[in-house]
Amino acid sequence: MTANVLILCAAGMLVSAYLMVGQKALFTAIRLYGVQSLLLAVIAATIAISQNRHDLFVTAALTVTLKTFLIPWFLMRVIDRIGIHREIEPFLNVPASLLVCLGLTVVGYRVSTGFPEGGQGVSHHLIGIALSMLLIGLFLMVTRKKAITQILALLTVENAVFVVAVGVTSGMPFIVELGISFDVILAVLVLGVLVQRIVGRFESMDVSRLSKLKG
Amino acid sequence: MHLLLVWTLVVPLVTAAVGAVAGVRRFRETVIIGGLAVTFALCLAIAGVFLRGTIPAAFGDALRVDGLSALVLVLCGFIGLLSGVYGVGYLRRNEARGLITPRMRREFFGLIPAYVFALLLVSMSNNLGILWIAVELTTLASVFLVTFHDRDTSLEAAWKFLMLGSLGLAFALLGTVLLFASGQGQLGEGMAALHWTRLMQVAPELHAYTLRLGVVFALIGYGTKAGLAPMHTWKPDAYGEAPSPAGVLMAAGMMNAALYCVIRIHLISKASLGPEFSGSLLLTLGLLSVLVATPFIVIQWNLKRLLAYSSIEHVGIMAIGLGLGAEAAVFGAFLHMTYHTLAKPVSFFAAGTIAQLYGSSDFAKIGRGTFGRAPVASALFVLAAVMITGSPPFGMFFSELIILRAGFLGAHPTITAVFLAALVVLFCGFVYQVGRLVLGPPRDPAEVTASPEPFDLGMGTAIVAAVLAVVSAFYLPGPMMALIRAATHVVWSGGGA
Repeated sequence: MTANVLILCAAGMLVSAYLMVGQKALFTAIRLYGVQSLLLAVIAATIAISQNRHDLFVTAALTVTLKTFLIPWFLMRVIDRIGIHREIEPFLNVPASLLVCLGLTVVGYRVSTGFPEGGQGVSHHLIGIALSMLLIGLFLMVTRKKAITQILALLTVENAVFVVAVGVTSGMPFIVELGISFDVILAVLVLGVLVQRIVGRFESMDVSRLSKLKG
Repeated sequence: MHLLLVWTLVVPLVTAAVGAVAGVRRFRETVIIGGLAVTFALCLAIAGVFLRGTIPAAFGDALRVDGLSALVLVLCGFIGLLSGVYGVGYLRRNEARGLITPRMRREFFGLIPAYVFALLLVSMSNNLGILWIAVELTTLASVFLVTFHDRDTSLEAAWKFLMLGSLGLAFALLGTVLLFASGQGQLGEGMAALHWTRLMQVAPELHAYTLRLGVVFALIGYGTKAGLAPMHTWKPDAYGEAPSPAGVLMAAGMMNAALYCVIRIHLISKASLGPEFSGSLLLTLGLLSVLVATPFIVIQWNLKRLLAYSSIEHVGIMAIGLGLGAEAAVFGAFLHMTYHTLAKPVSFFAAGTIAQLYGSSDFAKIGRGTFGRAPVASALFVLAAVMITGSPPFGMFFSELIILRAGFLGAHPTITAVFLAALVVLFCGFVYQVGRLVLGPPRDPAEVTASPEPFDLGMGTAIVAAVLAVVSAFYLPGPMMALIRAATHVVWSGGGA
């Protein structure tokens, strides 16, 4: 039962990453990120119940508050204020992007077979999915032009790291996790401020225009 | 619980808080300089405690100063003080031209000590989690320093800096998680499970595959912060746009702190998997950095970007020294770190003065003959160039020689030969650039009398930094040498104890 819930949630996270790749409306992409984080919280809570580890409940609560509500709310506010709602044509079109992501998932799963648990069990799926999400996040980052999408890609990478942290290790020390969450929220705030300044200056959040500095 | 460690962190934090609050300008300037001076004194005191034979620690060993920490701590404290004093002068100069708003002053006086705080936290951290958090803090503290002048290009630089930095940190976090996972439950519970010393204790039993993956991610992640190629691309932009005092903190302070993280990871890998795995990774990244920096120095068009590429070269040299796998080379790398930390501020301060005089650091706008326009700054810049290209009789000549010698005697003579060739080209390129800039008739003789070179706090700091750098080449104080040896010992013997 526990194993099924974990695998289902992890798979859901992977699907949300794929949907993000196929998505051009920025609001939807942000909501997808919120759902993805919610699934991460469910994973943490499930492990907390099944292994009787109460500190993971706090992790789950933190994830829901920060990543499902606070960060998406903040990013939507940024978008509202600057009034740009859609991603423009990416460097690589959507069908081709999805194909590349499929390849990345295979790579992620292949790498995950080397772990002590080997090619089976829950943690095989968790690591495989986490590594695929990491690669997909990286891919999104290099192919998309809008600043908000790049932030979402970064946050997807971040979520992938948390899947490994929650699902595979016996949980990072609690204080460290608290510090990391705090830093992530701070980074998003700083990024949001930067986006607003970029839009104020260039009247666009197309980061491919940031190309004056060379050599 | 060693209170010195706590104070060393509290003092810059308080300084940052006072600096960020509006107040009389003169008072805040005194607080900044005083606070950073006290911080540096505390760093020296910690190093003193260490050299007398105790290892200062606090918060259940989460903060712990061994030889490596002590060296990086002293160097970061030194850079903090220097950039604080120069920063006050820098701000005064720009204020005289009406370029500074009260908001900018608050940002500057708040962020510089905050940055120093984060650097010191990195260098005394024994816990991989805290290490990560502290490195993230350095990134966040420096973003708004990069956008300080609020130009189009500084926004671009800050964006690239933050995106690449955050990505690197995500990698470093994954690396940390995987290192933790490789312990397979042997690390215990709570905070102590992520202690570097704890990982070193159980190193032989770590799961090899997980550890390898973790080491690769962590090295790439922290390598990004150190500016090792091919993750170096943020560096020229950020250095080019940041005001010189912040540039120095990044080029010497951040670089040392990030290398500190790289070395900690390298040591875990070395203790568990043997020296080859992470050693060859460091060697590859280091050589790549030196090779990447070479052409960009030869064709450079901007003064501050020139310094950034030189900085990529130097971090490469240190990585090569660490990766060669010879004790002498490791010693050379730490000697290089020390001399680099002493010489780099001179180049940044001199370049900053020239850039402020001309209102740009673009070669095309500066033209030639800066010597006629700003003789002292230009002379300092030439001196700094001689030092950072590793010419005799200055320090970096000797440290590079030690690394090269160890390389030729050791297992990698071919790599060392390539490295040497790159160094020669780098030297020629740098000398060519500096000669082109400094020599010749000044662009407009009338300017020289209209706005002469300033003799103020900034210039004074530059001169003091230059004197220190020159003296250090001939006389490095005994305790400093002892710290370098202690750091070498930590790397070479694994130094779990």
